[in-house]
Amino acid sequence: MPPRTPVKAIDADAVRELAKLLDETGLTEIEYATGAFRVRVARQQTVVHEAAAPAAPAVAPPVSTPVAAPALVEKAYDATHPGAVKSPMVGTAYLAPEPGAPAFVAVGDRVKEGQTLLLVEAMKTFNEIKSPRAGTLRKVMIENQQPVEYGDVLMIID
Amino acid sequence: MTVAGTGIAALPPGYRRIAFDRVASTNDEARRRAEGGAAEGLVVTGGIQTAGRGRQGRTWVSPAGNLHASFLLRPRVKPARAGEFGFGAAVAVAEAVERAAPVAGAKCKWPNDVLVRGSKIAGILLESRGTPETLDWLIAGIGINLAAAPEHTAWPAASVAALGGNPSVERALETLAGRLDHWYRLWLAEGFAPLRQGWLARAHALGETIRIKRNGDEREGKFAGLDPGGALVLELAGGRRETISYGEVVE
Repeated sequence: MPPRTPVKAIDADAVRELAKLLDETGLTEIEYATGAFRVRVARQQTVVHEAAAPAAPAVAPPVSTPVAAPALVEKAYDATHPGAVKSPMVGTAYLAPEPGAPAFVAVGDRVKEGQTLLLVEAMKTFNEIKSPRAGTLRKVMIENQQPVEYGDVLMIID
Repeated sequence: MTVAGTGIAALPPGYRRIAFDRVASTNDEARRRAEGGAAEGLVVTGGIQTAGRGRQGRTWVSPAGNLHASFLLRPRVKPARAGEFGFGAAVAVAEAVERAAPVAGAKCKWPNDVLVRGSKIAGILLESRGTPETLDWLIAGIGINLAAAPEHTAWPAASVAALGGNPSVERALETLAGRLDHWYRLWLAEGFAPLRQGWLARAHALGETIRIKRNGDEREGKFAGLDPGGALVLELAGGRRETISYGEVVE
């Protein structure tokens, strides 16, 4: 195994560039993706920087000094995320309404509050799970037809 | 008895019916109306379903003369409890079948199939919608083979007519609606326990060795009962017990 580039490597130039663009354009949020990296700069003084792939290619030189402003916040889309949608029951999760049909939602989709995210089947009852909030679908934590336990994180929306 | 002189099913108080000669799917129609804000107690019936559905996109053969009805309910329970009602629905269907056909001992196969002498005579499709915290609605779609049973099915199928019973759709609907309402009220008032008891009294293969298929995996054991939430308790060789909340009993 070749040594893995740290996934938290930060492309400081890209962040600075995006922050500048944010000021120039008056936008509140810019999201930029290149290769396996996605950078989001938002006006609420947070920068989200994440690697979408497990092994990040060496597109970003690691930096040792913190970027000035805006403040930099590492944000992980994991089970502790406040936008985690949890399974209300023990059962089987289905990402599509029926076999062969497209998934209800895909990563990157804008999701409305009340929009169907997935099905959880328990004891032959098919329960459509609605999104409790509006936002962007950031991560799907399960596979189609995967058994899920009560409280398992199914998706992350923020 | 049906509504005097009409032959049309009398429904319990609070229920109302939309009857179609032909409909794509009674569940889809009930769902559309549920999302449009219809109150609970709506019953959608179809003489024929042109796109009758079973689980996971399977077709439910829905010829004229069979019963196809979907009941819209809005129980104030957590979504995790929606599946409990399937056991009450299965018992209600078994009771309706026994009233229509000259048979005793219609059985319930886990979780909500209804069998007569080992053959499947009805199908139940329960669908719900809600956030992880709250349930909007629960629809119990029920098909009973009154006039005819489909052929070449994976599990043998039976019909009320073939058993020598009365295949009247209206009479069967009246009995079914009455029994379904009975179990629904009991569930709301007392919880799952009475439904569990009613179901266990009719359980197919209880105490026998069964096989359960799920996600390509198969396991065998003794059907030891239901847990307090309705999951099947399987006793494996060596005495270890496992609770199964999804999967197919294949014998």
